[in-house]
Amino acid sequence: MSSTARLQPRAEMRGYRLAVIAALVLFVMTPVGLIIYQSFLDAPFFDKTSRFSLEAYDYVVTDPEFWSAFGTTAIFAFGMVAVAVPLGALLAFLLTRTDLAGRRWLEPIVLVPMFLSSIVLAFGYSVAVGPSGFVSLWLKETLGLRLWSIYSLGGMILIGGLSHVPNVYLYVSSAMRSLPSDLEEAARASGASIWRVSLDVTLPMVLPSLIFAAALNLLLGFETFGIPLVLGDPSGIVVLTTYIYKVNGIFGTPTYHVMAVVAVSLILVTLPLVYVQRLLLRNARRYAAVGGKGARAAPLRLGASGQLIAWGLIGLWLTVSVLMPIGGISVRAFVNAWGEGVRLSDHLTVSHFAQLMETPSLFRGILNTLALAVIGGAFAVAIYLMIGLAGHRNKGPSGALLDYMVLLPRALPGIIIGLAFFWVFLFVPFLTPLRPTLVSLFVAYLIVGLSYGLRIIQATLLQVAPELEEAARTSGASMARSWRDVVVPIIRPGLVGAWSLIMIVFLREYATGIYLMGVGTEVMGTLMVSLLTSGAMDQIAALAFLSIIFTAAGLGLALRLGARIHD
Amino acid sequence: MTDLRVSGVEKWLGGNHILRGASFEASRGSITALLGASGSGKTTLLRCIAGLEQPELGRIDIGGTCVLNGEEGLALPPEKRNIGLVFQSYALWPHRTVFDNVAYGLTLRGITGRDAELRVFGILQKLGLSHLAERYPDQLSGGQQQRVAICRALVYQPRVLLMDEPLSNLDAKLREDARYWIRQLILELGICAIMVTHDQSEALAMADHILLLENGVIVQSGTPMEIYSQPESFYAADFLGTNNVLLGKLAEGAAIGGDDWQLRGVRRGQVTGGLGESARAVVRTERIRIVDGPGDNHLEMQLDACLYLGSHWEYRLTRGGLAIKAHGDQPLPPGPVWCAIAPESVWIFG
Repeated sequence: MSSTARLQPRAEMRGYRLAVIAALVLFVMTPVGLIIYQSFLDAPFFDKTSRFSLEAYDYVVTDPEFWSAFGTTAIFAFGMVAVAVPLGALLAFLLTRTDLAGRRWLEPIVLVPMFLSSIVLAFGYSVAVGPSGFVSLWLKETLGLRLWSIYSLGGMILIGGLSHVPNVYLYVSSAMRSLPSDLEEAARASGASIWRVSLDVTLPMVLPSLIFAAALNLLLGFETFGIPLVLGDPSGIVVLTTYIYKVNGIFGTPTYHVMAVVAVSLILVTLPLVYVQRLLLRNARRYAAVGGKGARAAPLRLGASGQLIAWGLIGLWLTVSVLMPIGGISVRAFVNAWGEGVRLSDHLTVSHFAQLMETPSLFRGILNTLALAVIGGAFAVAIYLMIGLAGHRNKGPSGALLDYMVLLPRALPGIIIGLAFFWVFLFVPFLTPLRPTLVSLFVAYLIVGLSYGLRIIQATLLQVAPELEEAARTSGASMARSWRDVVVPIIRPGLVGAWSLIMIVFLREYATGIYLMGVGTEVMGTLMVSLLTSGAMDQIAALAFLSIIFTAAGLGLALRLGARIHD
Repeated sequence: MTDLRVSGVEKWLGGNHILRGASFEASRGSITALLGASGSGKTTLLRCIAGLEQPELGRIDIGGTCVLNGEEGLALPPEKRNIGLVFQSYALWPHRTVFDNVAYGLTLRGITGRDAELRVFGILQKLGLSHLAERYPDQLSGGQQQRVAICRALVYQPRVLLMDEPLSNLDAKLREDARYWIRQLILELGICAIMVTHDQSEALAMADHILLLENGVIVQSGTPMEIYSQPESFYAADFLGTNNVLLGKLAEGAAIGGDDWQLRGVRRGQVTGGLGESARAVVRTERIRIVDGPGDNHLEMQLDACLYLGSHWEYRLTRGGLAIKAHGDQPLPPGPVWCAIAPESVWIFG
């Protein structure tokens, strides 16, 4: 038999698949490659005198500021995990496994902090519980209490942790939902109490998802930018991302090679974390598959006092994580003076919003944000769909390559992706005219949203039963035709849901635009970052308020369209 | 005329040899059933013919056109093979009406408008579905969905109709009807049909030709009567019918026996064992009669229990280590009885 030539698997749509995957590699690897290349030069790469050198590495590793930023980043990331994971797990348990009153409508509210950009959240905390925040002043006046400063590493960790509870909640709750309840019932029937059951059965069964959520939040902690910028910067607390942001100011001249080295060092931390996540996810799926589909039976009963305690906890968390920042911004956006002994009702105004309308750059920023989110989001979904189809039932090596390319941007914080594309658009001659247009931002956003968007699209594509495609093929349709006539029409509702979720992702983005912002490419999030330096708090408050409103509208749309929210 | 010719098809899947050289032919106006237990490779063989799976070796011709040739590296995709496939799950497209589901194959062949309408309604009418043309698949019963799936696969007159367990998703009563009308339809239209089934009664009732598969090999092929009454291997004998398997040793004169019993029979399949070596005998339950007393190839046994199965009674008989099932039309009291088994019904393998 071995002498006979064996048929190779038919390579279908090979041209399309290779073209899409090659384009994907180009778009993902160019910025990464450029950063790595730049890190080994002694001057900006466009400078003709630049030479290969380890000078920048030398500078960075001997800079005590870098090491202090590195240490602070690590403490922040681990601290955030320590706050977010137990709280998220508890919340998931209460909302999915018990008969907690009102748990149906609680879920979307619990997720709110995840959809707001951390710059908005951080700003919200600073106006609510900062040294001269509304809540701080009120506490001081009525109770004589002084809050400890949130402009500290501890404050940053607490706020970062609280705002990342939803990310933990999402993973743990979906693991808990897929847990067959007969496992718990078997333990109860053997005589275990609710709490014993949750400790002895539920917790070990969802442990993989807890570990995964911890790894994910560690990654988010390393990449975080908004919270350290708003809360850490005023008191001189620097993390890696803010170090990159500030390094230009320290030198006074563009120090691209130093920025590149810091970016590389950050990627060296985040890339293994992404890889670990991928491994964990594969194992977690295997673990969950053991359970199978148990019929959902009655949830665990909390009892009257249990309900009270649970609601007390959730109410406290909601107050601190949702009500405080959003309330703070909502008040701040409509007043022009506050302080001890000042009645807010005497100082109500809409002038901050009038300023937004009158200042061309701010007004453009609002329009640009909406255009990028709504129109850009739709284009992004179309492009993600093209990529998704290239990987759809593609078991060859190009499919594996696609998976890795999709995963890679997870290791890149928005600020670095933005920086890299800024370089690309600045120095690739035929791309230069596009730099001051929204196209440059769109391309960067496309890469920022790539992992998330592709996961939604791939999950949607997987819902199409293979026989439906095969039936088209045996009826006489080519693969392209079966995609057009069968796959895409069937997943259309899923695509609309994906569009609404990508819209929210693009709405809240603030770090990617930092280096790409210029006249004509302003977006709300990035405007807030730049206004921070000039201290124009009135405009920031109005922008943050609008950003919350837009996000709420997007979230409402997503829920209405039945989008399945997951990360 | 031969519409389908499969020769020497071999397929590996991750180191497993799924198909080990399947060869057969089929022609129009006949139904060929691929019968076998799960894992025997029957569905893989069907999918190889359809082009949904690709074998590494072999040759397949459909309607005189070579669609697969391992030696020349030729493998046409499914859409170029001029086949119709009815899926086990029917796989009706949920976003298209019955009419659009059926018309799709015509659209792909450039037949549209009035022509397409005539042909779609023609086949829908034939299967009693024309009043459902505007419905969506989720508004149909299982039986209706199955008929739509058959219409969809037949409307463009493919050279070969492939059916993957076409009856398994129907309830028992519909299934019995479907056996009959599908067979009638195929004979009437003069189609070359291949069906996969694990259900022997389906294969026996519907097919003109049965291919029995075991571990990726066609172990026996023939008409339903040949397959049922002249099995060439223990697997074939045991797979069909409801059987008693007797374990014993070969004895003088084509007989099998145990410690205190002996039955004359016929040796079937490859003769390998000599006298005194262990062997197995297969006896169909319907071939065992309860009789009044001793006689030629009669065996005295103990009747342990009688089970009522509606249309008949099942007797549970033992004699030492030997256990036998037999059927009868009346209840019998437990106690000693005589069984009569004609020697030609005792198939000895070994």
